[in-house]
Amino acid sequence: MTDRPADQADPGTTTGRVLVLLDGSRMSYAALQAAVGIAANTGADVLGVFVEELNQLRSAGYGFAREVGGSSGISRPLAAGDVEQRMQRLASEARRALAGAVASYGGRQSLSVARGHVIDEVLALAGPQDLLVLGRVGWSSEPGARLGSTAKGLVRRSRGRVLLWCESRAEPLGRVVVFLNDHHGANGRAVQATAEVVRHSHRPVTLLLGADSTVSADDLKGVAQDLGIQESELRVRSLPSTDPAVVAGILRQERAVELVLSRECTLLQEPGAERLLVALNLPVTVTP
Amino acid sequence: MPLPTPLTGDQVYHVCPENKLDFVTTDDVQDLDQPYGQDRVLRALEFGAGIRAEGFNLFVLGPSGAGKHELVERFLSLNAARQPVPPDWCHVYNFRFSDRPGAIQLPAGQGQQFKKDMSELAEELRTAIPAAFESEEYQARLQELQEEMAKRQHQGLFEIQEEANRNNIAMITTPAGFTFAPMRKGEVIDPEEYKNFSDEEKQLVESKVEELQKKLQQTIQQIPRMRKEVRERVHALNEEMVQLTLGGPIGELRGKWSHLPDIVDYLDAVREDVVEHAEAFQDGDNGPPAGLLARYKVNLLVDNAETVGAPVIYEDLPNHQHLAGQIEHRARQGNLYTDFTLIRGGSMHRANGGYLIIDARRVLTQPMAWESLKRILSSGEIRIESLERLYGLVSTVSLQPEPIPVSVKVVLLGDRMLYYLLSHYDPDFLDLFKVEADFEDDLDRNEECYELYARMIATMARGLKMRPLERSAVARLIEHASRLAADQRKLTAHDRVLRDILSEADHWAGQAGADTVEASHLQQAIDEREYRASRVRERSREQISRGVVMIATTGEEVAQVNGLSVLRLGASMFGQPTRITATARPGKGQVVDIEREAKLGGPIHSKAVMILSRFLASRYAGDGELSLSASLAFEQSYGGVEGDSASVAETCVLLSAISRVPIKQAFAVTGSMNQHGEVQAVGGVNEKIEGFFDVCKEAGDVRGQGVLLPASNVEHLMLRADVRQAIAEDRFRIYPISSINEAIELLTGLEPGEPDSNGEFPENSFNHRVAERLEKFAEASKKRDENGEANSSGGKDRD
Repeated sequence: MTDRPADQADPGTTTGRVLVLLDGSRMSYAALQAAVGIAANTGADVLGVFVEELNQLRSAGYGFAREVGGSSGISRPLAAGDVEQRMQRLASEARRALAGAVASYGGRQSLSVARGHVIDEVLALAGPQDLLVLGRVGWSSEPGARLGSTAKGLVRRSRGRVLLWCESRAEPLGRVVVFLNDHHGANGRAVQATAEVVRHSHRPVTLLLGADSTVSADDLKGVAQDLGIQESELRVRSLPSTDPAVVAGILRQERAVELVLSRECTLLQEPGAERLLVALNLPVTVTP
Repeated sequence: MPLPTPLTGDQVYHVCPENKLDFVTTDDVQDLDQPYGQDRVLRALEFGAGIRAEGFNLFVLGPSGAGKHELVERFLSLNAARQPVPPDWCHVYNFRFSDRPGAIQLPAGQGQQFKKDMSELAEELRTAIPAAFESEEYQARLQELQEEMAKRQHQGLFEIQEEANRNNIAMITTPAGFTFAPMRKGEVIDPEEYKNFSDEEKQLVESKVEELQKKLQQTIQQIPRMRKEVRERVHALNEEMVQLTLGGPIGELRGKWSHLPDIVDYLDAVREDVVEHAEAFQDGDNGPPAGLLARYKVNLLVDNAETVGAPVIYEDLPNHQHLAGQIEHRARQGNLYTDFTLIRGGSMHRANGGYLIIDARRVLTQPMAWESLKRILSSGEIRIESLERLYGLVSTVSLQPEPIPVSVKVVLLGDRMLYYLLSHYDPDFLDLFKVEADFEDDLDRNEECYELYARMIATMARGLKMRPLERSAVARLIEHASRLAADQRKLTAHDRVLRDILSEADHWAGQAGADTVEASHLQQAIDEREYRASRVRERSREQISRGVVMIATTGEEVAQVNGLSVLRLGASMFGQPTRITATARPGKGQVVDIEREAKLGGPIHSKAVMILSRFLASRYAGDGELSLSASLAFEQSYGGVEGDSASVAETCVLLSAISRVPIKQAFAVTGSMNQHGEVQAVGGVNEKIEGFFDVCKEAGDVRGQGVLLPASNVEHLMLRADVRQAIAEDRFRIYPISSINEAIELLTGLEPGEPDSNGEFPENSFNHRVAERLEKFAEASKKRDENGEANSSGGKDRD
């Protein structure tokens, strides 16, 4: 049912960098900590990406431009100089935060500052082997958004692995849930990503099977082997429906701390995929 | 005048006839149900224990070691067994005022069940409520709620964004909020390009942007209200879940405890509290905070589950905390914490509905304990307050538990002095302790007493788990009890002394390998006690035998007599002779008490010397003036003299000094005297006689010596065997005297002589000699006065 992970022979190394998208928001710094944690375990380089959003710069160039406060609703004039200054400040804060976080374990890092459209700039920097880490929502979290437009776009368009980070309740006994369906290649990539997660966290794993999927005892043994865990640490659950509420319910029951699924899987291919991501309050790794 | 005859052996000792004791050993004798000879105390206890009126608490007064505690406890236990068991009391959390824990009364024995029920409820809450929050139903409803609210919240923004998009205006998220700008194909138009727009187009864009900004402002400003609404709806959902979860267990408990409205009210308060704190139960892993669940515990303050009848409590350390209870604290990281579970009841709580026995001296010596006790008895309720708070030393916030109504009969045990002092100085005392139970020190020794006293001894012996006493040992103990009472017609009721002698006799019987305690073992116990306490006595006797302290026991001396005194050291006392001397010369009717002048004499002794002085004047000076300057001294006495027991000896020695008639040193004298020369009883006669006997024995053979003592003291004699032996062999004599004349005749061998109608004493009589010498003193004084007057008038003339 699954392909063997390519890097099983040398589990301590990764083939790509860890890219983390920094925009100065609280969630982006949380994502930075998660990215640094992964890089510290795998030894990968960390590349911070800070994009000076072109649309934002342009909008400030209008004489009538005003900014409506996300919390207060108060409207005030917006000047291009102010926006430039703000972006520079956020970039230097991001640089400091990145350097500080990576210095704690002695890894290598660099920050790429680009001007343009965020999704395009990130996609231009990220290779297929790189892991892209970003907060599931950026500055729009304040007025109540639960999934930002950048996250939506990158999940859909990224060629490599994407980790949508979100801060969730600490669950000492929580499990990593990996969704599998009939797409063998996608399953293999999801299992491989899961193996990398549990290699360092030593958490048990739940295989969440799509409605029509089954798994034999031999397959199960193989998956456990691929994941590098005991068979007793592996549990199988079937998903009766792809309704986001049902999926969220099952993940709660499993005390899931992270969900791993392939971009190719049915859950993300169906029209309600974005609703599912909105409903899930846990980090989600989306593999190619 | 016939001289008094010396006492016989039978008169100086009241033997206990063994035929009065109808048993072989004390094993054959039944226990006494009631203490013997303490009818007054028993009636007082019965009255005090029975009366329900306020303030009728008891004070049992009697000497220490009289067995007050045992008697009171035994009596009250019997009495209490017939009374109902008082209720249980517990403290619970007060949900309205957390610093004032509530008190709940339950029927006896139900406190434990209530505590268990609440503990089980708390345990159920610990698991059932988090489980309810973990349930799929709750999570789904919560998710729905949150999604709905998020949707409503986001909807406004989304609609504005849609409207903006429709008008080719971009809504752009910035770090601080949102901004709008014209766009084309999803990209914001370059401001330079915008300059090329026609004025109409620009006006259209800008007015739309302004409109969108206003809408956005309104939408964002509604977000806090919507968030509040979410919180309220989540709270309502939580409450609903908790209500549903709690319904079963609390309803069950309400039914079970429906007979106690206080508990039903408390259970309702618990339910409200849990609902109010529903969110605190949500943490399924760590469970609700321990502090929260601890609020539902029950502090069972008084548990009468095992109590039979009314409680009888003895508080051996009656300080404020032990009586009224206390609030303990737990140290956590250097800070002290307390809560209602750390309230500890005192002996007043435990004795509530029954009896509390307290040692009066102990309660008076503990800071604030006496005041606390009175406060509880006056108010009829127990308030638990710390000592620091009562003294006003601390002002930190602490608990003020609800006072518990109290109905307790307090029995104070103390000596008589304490009772009288409290009666005199404490105005509350007699209001609160109206029943006086006075212990008898001694019991009557009559024909009926032997059987009862023997049963009392047998009861004691069995209580001490000692060997049985043989009849002879009991007889010896009865005789010793008379000696301890210092009265042939009394027996001591002093419980501790009797128990100690019995225990010691049992020890000596054990040493001798005997199965029963015999008279010899009892005598050994008495002798050993005497010996252990004899160091000072022996040193004193040694001083006499070596002549350091001068005491003559043979011959005759003018103006010198052997007086007798008693020294009390700790629990033991012994007698010893003291040489009393006198001087006499002409003067103005003055008898100088050297002891008083040297401030070594007490007031009673001074009074006795004054009586003596007036006796002399009355008998020998008649209507004239007593021309005498005399002095009296206790030789080699350095420790002070008190009492009037030497006044007969002092009179005799003073008369000897006046008359120059010698006194027989073979006698020692004790007795007090009134102004008419009648001899009155004194104390410690046994010790005095034995003391003189021992001195005589150590000075050589006892032959012809004796003691003069008041006739009214004869029935107090219970002398030692060796003294009795000497009396029986007529080597030692004891003369009972009634008047000073008898003493004079016995001491001097001269007839004292009675005055005739003219007040003249017969020739050659002792009194005649005294009167004759006093006349000479008077003449000498008169001559001197005349000379003095002549000298002074001559002087005047010369002047």
